Amino acid sequence: MLIEIENLSVTFTAQGKPLRAVQEVSFAVAAKSAFGLVGESGSGKSTILRAICGLAPISGGSIRIAGETIRHDRAFSRQVQMVFQDPYASLHPRHSIDRTLSEPLAIHGLPLSESRIQQALTDVGLPANFRFRYPHQLSGGQRQRVAIARALMLEPKILLLDEPTSALDASVQAETLNLLSRLRAERGLTFLMVSHDLAVIDHMCDRILVMQHGRSVESLSRQALASGQMTTAYARSLFAASADRMLPP
Amino acid sequence: MSLLSVKNLRVSFDTETGRVEAVRGVSFSLGRERLGIVGESGSGKTMTGRALLRLIRPPGQIAADEMRFDGIDLLQASEKTMRSLRGPRISMVMQDPKYSLNPVMRVGAQLTEGLRLRDRLSKPAAYAKALEALIAVQIRDPERVMQAYPHELSGGMGQRVMIAMMLIPNPDLLIADEPTSALDVTVQAEVLKILDDLVRARGMGLIFISHDLRLVARFCDRVLVMYKGKIVEELAAKDLLQAKHPYTQGLLNCLPRIGGPRSMLPSLERDASWAG
Repeated sequence: MLIEIENLSVTFTAQGKPLRAVQEVSFAVAAKSAFGLVGESGSGKSTILRAICGLAPISGGSIRIAGETIRHDRAFSRQVQMVFQDPYASLHPRHSIDRTLSEPLAIHGLPLSESRIQQALTDVGLPANFRFRYPHQLSGGQRQRVAIARALMLEPKILLLDEPTSALDASVQAETLNLLSRLRAERGLTFLMVSHDLAVIDHMCDRILVMQHGRSVESLSRQALASGQMTTAYARSLFAASADRMLPP
Repeated sequence: MSLLSVKNLRVSFDTETGRVEAVRGVSFSLGRERLGIVGESGSGKTMTGRALLRLIRPPGQIAADEMRFDGIDLLQASEKTMRSLRGPRISMVMQDPKYSLNPVMRVGAQLTEGLRLRDRLSKPAAYAKALEALIAVQIRDPERVMQAYPHELSGGMGQRVMIAMMLIPNPDLLIADEPTSALDVTVQAEVLKILDDLVRARGMGLIFISHDLRLVARFCDRVLVMYKGKIVEELAAKDLLQAKHPYTQGLLNCLPRIGGPRSMLPSLERDASWAG
């Protein structure tokens, strides 16, 4: 297993009181597979991704990648990268696309070259001359492509995807999901993906963990999800609320 | 008689690079029913909603052959008349509670502001009315929410506060612009239920703007599909999933389905002739 999460707890302090956002959640993700986390907002699914990246305080349990407990150093960021939900907020508004994509290389002391940036843009299906643009000159879907290109600059093995398409239109969502599927196949990436749309998770992921109130509720295979074989009431209600996302009979 | 009738509505912006037409000849009428407007971003659905309230600032321009609400000509109405319509007669729930609520004002103050200024209610009366509105949108802890700042609320709560705010003056027509797109499925279902109950109980007209076809199919009575500022298809919501127009079909086909194949999703083929 490439990613192993054991009894992970994340506790924030809100107005002097502890807020347990994630409580003793365990799961494992095999290399080159795609794993989905689903649940309502506030269920702690995004917090798990943020904890892996070191953006949320871990109060218990462990996170191991390739058998080793994670340390948030430079080697880590060459292995794991994250794509955030809102492409309007996750790109620096005053940095050109060129600068946004160069930054990871500069931080890691890797050689900067024009062709490297052009290649990165072509890989995500954007014209190479987009590197002179600023985020406000791009549409939401184009921005999300830039965010994906940035995450791939350091050639990581693992991508953490936090609702990567929920801010996008149906047609742009389809294009972005296709792009992610293609990149995963081409580069042998491992995805850990958060979404509240069961249809998106079902389309992308091999295994699914359903979460509620910071705890894991049920772990499902894709087959079990598609055939509605869940055992807990909550997972069932989530499935029922997505009835209009089923394949038409 | 219909509540609202719109004929050949056009919204255009004069920019440095020439004229941009956001809405190009939209006509529809609305009774006390739930009308959905769907389309991708940039299709002009939000601009149509805003134009009804004349909430488009220069350089934007609104033109129409007719835009009439309950006997009032919205094109000729004075700014004063418009102001008396916005809120008490027609109100609009904006897309994102993060950007539409005042971040430095407590929710209670925002909810009572209109009641105090417009209806000249006393402080306790306005407070009681605002509290009642929060209860109507099923906020469990209304007193805490009244004291809270918008950043202390979750997306679902914020959206409910916005709906409560728009319902306080008891309008005849509610324009809801993507009221649930920031919410997840379970909360979405709750918010829609609240909207639906209110529309039924108060006999309001509702214009529901969304890019989510499945949601509109389930929730509305009638649907307009917009593409590049034009209505390409109008149909009963129950027939939406069997839509005839290739654009509507394309929008439906590119959605992933639970249990669907893992192959690439079909991308939307656009035909220049649709935009006419």
